[in-house]
Amino acid sequence: MVNIPTTPADLIPFIISIITSHTFITLIIFPGMIHLMLAGSFLTWYERKLLARIQLRIGPLYAGGPGGILQPVADGVKLIFKEVILPYKADRTLFISIPLVLIFLGTLPFAVIPFGQHWVIANLDVGLVFVFATTSIFPSMIIIFAWASNSKYPFIGGLRSLFQQVAYEIPMWISALSVVILAGSLNLVDIVNAQAKIWFIVPAFLSFIVFFICVMAELERLPFDLPEAEPELVAGWYTEASGAIFMALFLALYLKLYMMSTLVTDLFLGGWWGPSFLPQPVWTILKTMVVATAIIIPRGIYPRIRVDMLIKLGWTRLLIIALVNVFLTLLIVNTGVLAAWGL
Amino acid sequence: MALNPWFVIMIWAVLILIMMGPLLTIPYLIVFPSRKENPFRDMPFESGQVPQGYARHRLAMQYYPFVLMFVVFDVVGMFLFAWGISFTKIPISSSLMVLLFLLLLGAPLGYALRLALRRENW
Repeated sequence: MVNIPTTPADLIPFIISIITSHTFITLIIFPGMIHLMLAGSFLTWYERKLLARIQLRIGPLYAGGPGGILQPVADGVKLIFKEVILPYKADRTLFISIPLVLIFLGTLPFAVIPFGQHWVIANLDVGLVFVFATTSIFPSMIIIFAWASNSKYPFIGGLRSLFQQVAYEIPMWISALSVVILAGSLNLVDIVNAQAKIWFIVPAFLSFIVFFICVMAELERLPFDLPEAEPELVAGWYTEASGAIFMALFLALYLKLYMMSTLVTDLFLGGWWGPSFLPQPVWTILKTMVVATAIIIPRGIYPRIRVDMLIKLGWTRLLIIALVNVFLTLLIVNTGVLAAWGL
Repeated sequence: MALNPWFVIMIWAVLILIMMGPLLTIPYLIVFPSRKENPFRDMPFESGQVPQGYARHRLAMQYYPFVLMFVVFDVVGMFLFAWGISFTKIPISSSLMVLLFLLLLGAPLGYALRLALRRENW
């Protein structure tokens, strides 16, 4: 514990002790701000490059570095200096503030998501519930933004986004429930620690499948990208966004993609556990990138599914599979089939 | 030095607002007050069509029954989390009650799904 400075001479050691403290480093550098900004901008470049390679194109090439890796920086500078167009009769306050709220909601869950045994900003007891609570505010914010922009395509897209995310949230929670039963904790660090011997993808494989599909639907990725279907609704709920507002929405969506991939890694793929020749955060980030790739690739391959198919899949198939899997997990825990691995 | 995690989350929230706030408050403070009305620029985008009327109509919400079901299952999901975390610590008879509750919930769920999936009710 550092003493509060009373004289000016004590001020410099006080500041140094704050800057070198673990909390400060986690807040600013590693799972914190700088890492998140780098990861978010890297993912935008990665998605463009990956899709281009799938479709036999080259993708970003000229903006510095190998393979145009500085493209996100160029895009950011361009978008900041572009004019922000406010549609006719749009609600100005909501139109400006909702992108900020979305970024806030996309960044807030990283406070409890661990990247290593000690690489977590806040070791919260109810971490998983905190993550779900923050992600479930997204649809209402999206529909408010769509309403504020006073245009028809965003409104339809916002409504679609609302019922899609609502339909896939329940199967997602219930499939995460079997992980909670296996680990006996809602703390994400404890959940990953419980996977030291066996990753939860093995005893809860069905859960993993359901959770992964729900994550893709929550992120509005193909084949579930009805809210932003380009051929039907110009760009869905962010049709009217331009300039800095568009950049904020884009950043929020990619931060959400990164957050969900990390969540899948921590819940099912053993988080930071791996051979010890690499440090823990590297393992987490590697697995996260594998999950993110698996989420991105269908965008280059699959067509979009119909609205009623989407709703039917979420409410009947996935919900029932998730509930059945809870019973399976109970059987596994009660009969002690996997007792050798500490479950 | 172990801080209260909620306090750290509060610092994190303030940090996000400090870092991200200028991105959107600058256009709000500088760009918007100084601009003039331009009906062609500010027109909502409708792929080249001239928009007719306002967009804030009462739109038919075709999947409304599903949203109603969400309100129920939202609460059920949270209760299930509270049960799942204490599953290994409570006697098995208490867990059987929760399972019975889930089975009881199955019948209304099936009925609601059957109603909600019918095209006449959309």
